[in-house]
Amino acid sequence: MSSTSLTLPAPAPAAARKRRLLEILGALAIAGTYAYLVLNQPSDIAGGPGSAAALIALSGFLVGAILLIMAVLPTLPASTLVLIPVALVLNIVLGQFVGSTLVPFYLDAIGTVLIAVLAGPAAGAATGALSSIIWSFFNPTVLPFAAGAALIGALAGLAARYGLFRRFYFAPIAGFLTGIIGGVVSAPVAAFVFGGTSGVATGAIVSAFRAMGDTLFAAITKQALLSDPMDKAIVFTLVALLVYALPRRARLQFPFVRRHNVLAGTGRDDATN
Amino acid sequence: MKLHPLTSLAIAGSAAVVTTAAASVPLSLAVMATAAALSFMSGRGAQVLAASAMILVPLCLALFMVHGLFFPEGTTVIAQWGPARVTIEGLTFAAERASRIGAAVVPLLVFSCTVSVPDLVAALSARGVSGRVAFVLAATLALVPAIGQQQLRIRQAQEARGLVIRRHLPSRIAAFRLQALPLVLSLVEEASGRAQALEARGFVSAARPTSYRQVQDPLPQRILRWLVLLCAAVVVGLRLSSSLPGGNW
Amino acid sequence: MTEESSVLRACVEHFTFHDEAGPVLTGLELALRRGTITALLGASGSGKTTLGRLLGGWSRPGNSGLLSGVLEVAGQILHFEGTDDDPAINAAEWARHVGYVPQDSTTVLSMVRATVGEELAFGLENRGVSPAAMRESVQHVAGRLGLTHLLEHSPTTLSGGELRKLAIGCVVIMNPEVLILDEPAASLDAEAAAGLVTLMRDLAGRGTAVLVLSQCVDALVRAAGHWFLLQEGSLSAGGIMAELPDFTALAAAGLVVSAGCGGVGSTPATDLPVDAQLMPDGSAHRALPPDLGGSKFPAAQLTDVQFAFGPVARQRRPLRRRNAQRAVPPNTVLRGVNLSLQAGEVIAITGPNGAGKSTLLRHFNGLLQPDSGSVLIEGKDIAGQATGTVAAAVGLLFQQPRDQLFERTAQREVAFGLSGSAGTIAAAATHALDVVGLSGASSRHPAELPASQQRLLALATVLARRPAILLLDEPTVALDGHGRRFLVRAIHVAAAAGAAVVLVTHDVDFAAEAAHKTLVLSDGILVPAEP
Repeated sequence: MSSTSLTLPAPAPAAARKRRLLEILGALAIAGTYAYLVLNQPSDIAGGPGSAAALIALSGFLVGAILLIMAVLPTLPASTLVLIPVALVLNIVLGQFVGSTLVPFYLDAIGTVLIAVLAGPAAGAATGALSSIIWSFFNPTVLPFAAGAALIGALAGLAARYGLFRRFYFAPIAGFLTGIIGGVVSAPVAAFVFGGTSGVATGAIVSAFRAMGDTLFAAITKQALLSDPMDKAIVFTLVALLVYALPRRARLQFPFVRRHNVLAGTGRDDATN
Repeated sequence: MKLHPLTSLAIAGSAAVVTTAAASVPLSLAVMATAAALSFMSGRGAQVLAASAMILVPLCLALFMVHGLFFPEGTTVIAQWGPARVTIEGLTFAAERASRIGAAVVPLLVFSCTVSVPDLVAALSARGVSGRVAFVLAATLALVPAIGQQQLRIRQAQEARGLVIRRHLPSRIAAFRLQALPLVLSLVEEASGRAQALEARGFVSAARPTSYRQVQDPLPQRILRWLVLLCAAVVVGLRLSSSLPGGNW
Repeated sequence: MTEESSVLRACVEHFTFHDEAGPVLTGLELALRRGTITALLGASGSGKTTLGRLLGGWSRPGNSGLLSGVLEVAGQILHFEGTDDDPAINAAEWARHVGYVPQDSTTVLSMVRATVGEELAFGLENRGVSPAAMRESVQHVAGRLGLTHLLEHSPTTLSGGELRKLAIGCVVIMNPEVLILDEPAASLDAEAAAGLVTLMRDLAGRGTAVLVLSQCVDALVRAAGHWFLLQEGSLSAGGIMAELPDFTALAAAGLVVSAGCGGVGSTPATDLPVDAQLMPDGSAHRALPPDLGGSKFPAAQLTDVQFAFGPVARQRRPLRRRNAQRAVPPNTVLRGVNLSLQAGEVIAITGPNGAGKSTLLRHFNGLLQPDSGSVLIEGKDIAGQATGTVAAAVGLLFQQPRDQLFERTAQREVAFGLSGSAGTIAAAATHALDVVGLSGASSRHPAELPASQQRLLALATVLARRPAILLLDEPTVALDGHGRRFLVRAIHVAAAAGAAVVLVTHDVDFAAEAAHKTLVLSDGILVPAEP
């Protein structure tokens, strides 16, 4: 019969190194862009046309996000890959709905955080970035936030990796901290690309800070620090509720959950036999 | 002429990039008008207009609220109520940003509303790495209507079990839970079945997939694509070099 | 074992899902030979699907659980010790030899392809087959399955039977030496099932080994040369088809031997006792003996109910624009249904697919409102009332149990939404689980129950509310023999406690067995069934 083997070969180390390099480059692109924007020129956003800053923010963050996707997406197992569209639809449907209300939250990361908890930081980062890119098919204004979304996914995965989803009260705390970092990173995009926020509710908060005489960048960063941590605390809590409602077999099909003992009550004792 | 999906993507993307780089209100308005006209010619005008309005109206409201009323850097005050000052500079800034964002959003929406998704998926899959991106895009787009139907079935089932959705918040939260949990659980479960099917059908390990659907990609369009992208790159380069130290931001 | 001619051989010492105490399969040996059809019979929960997925490369040792045993495919032998160092199966390579079509056959479909032709070609694309060769294979397989006229259609527009054929086509096009079909005939009509038999014989004739997994002894199973009986994870019997055990033995193993799924024979009358213990205590309950009719009102009264679907039917739109006349809406489903239902009465409604049976059922609890006519529940018109309010008196079991299950355990699921003290709620939930035979599964996750038990659990959630009217939409689908007996008993228990029961079914045998009276929904009105 056919001479091909029915079993999988061990993964080649060269490919793994290349992927790791892409991951690092992507993270560097995002970090570098952020550092450049913050260090060089927050003063004049409200001054001139400011399109160079917008271009740098757009291209730097987008290139970073795409590098991350290129690094991670080919390595994901099928069980994670098919869950990404589900996560994206959750992000988009909830995000679109909440964005249309007058609540200063977004709730557009539930799917991303769900994947991160089940499949790890890398998968979370790729899902976050992909989510923004594919959502921009319906709403192009979310595209520049791809890097921020990737960061949320990565942080959520790390939180899961280190057991913050094992206790119920840790999840909102982890979400709160993630929100602080995510908000700080997304603020330059809102400031330099959009010159403000995309919602009326968040806009009102920015207005309040501007009325107190803050620069636009400072006002948007403060607004992000008000909205994002609460938002992510809610998201992390909802995801914790979701994953604990999943049947055991569905949770344990993810090696990340088994290996790192992500959820309470699903020890690896049986898995290792 | 029927455009290859990647050609229209390149044109729409370049339009967005060039208008962002140029930051010129007249150009932005012209690009928006052209894109809108094209969408009406292709019969998708209403759809593009509705989608654009849904995104741009709240965004513009927010911009004019923030900058129209509160712009500490502004000097030419038109009106003032307490802490709120309407300044020429603030209004100009808001108008400039709004038009620039509009000029990026409308062409991209024209692309999404007019492109044939199967062709786009086939065109992307034929290009190696993006096979998985194409899968995620297509699966997401297929899932949206399917989820709508499933959501309706779940609501009926829960109503038959005694769910009454009232206006107050606790009732809404309870109703949300009753509907969201079965939906997400069944989606996750379906996904795990589909994962095994995709592996068995060789999707995960595909090295060099071929395409059953053939999308015409004539040479002139490929040249056009590269020209458009090159043009966008040049504009971006010019803008960035003029803004380097000594340049004018 | 005759290794020489067997193309697939499995020797399972035990297979255990991750983090579960006991194995699902134990001490099981199976070999399939080229050009044969084999039937693997087993009740819901016997491990049939687990075995099918294991052999088909869908549940891979290490991934979903741990296997101790040997699998041999196309001359390659893989040994599994149940440790992390076990060989990792390459699913794509495995699928070149063994194809698996699951019970929910739409799972096979990628759902990212726009036409039936592209969906069929998906697996070939991933193997890098040239476009010309793909076209040829697609034409060939579509011809054999009778899908040629649908090649340019979107898979989302196909009927259930067509989807199943497409799923089989997607697997067959890879030309596997072994084809495993999990419950292939479930919810197919007799004609479609006959088409499947022809296809199976055709494949076997070309040298494929076909394995049919079924809980129903139907035409497909009877087409097999050999049979095995799977009980609690091990093979308990087997032989050639002529030696298939008699009806009683099969029924005792939880199988359905029914004309309803294409074969001969019939479902047994329920042999489970309807003992006094299962009866509600009567005090807090409307305990009307069926023939007493002591109530002032019928439990439900439908008067001249007419209903047409609104402009939702999108595919008809161009047609409707042309006929401007509005007098007879083209989508009229119900043309004047009259029905009076007494407490304790069990009525079955049958009729062909698409006759509007489910539509009619949705009028009883206000999910659909009649265009004209009235629906009275316990003497009160329910027009304009929220379904959730009507649900206090009317319980409806839907076709898809998964749409309404969301709790972590079966017990919590049944207890959800019941009112009263914690003690009475727990008692009511336990009682309802008892009636449907699920008392042993009360702490399991609803999603992990086998399909048959999920359906019974959904039934228990309805029963626990003690509705005055119980509505059942195709309740026998996916039920195995045990499940059917529990269903019949639950109906009798509810009726004896004073509930009026309406069940909609395509299974005429079941209707006759469970109901006092059978009506046929035909051309939008109810007529008595011919005797």
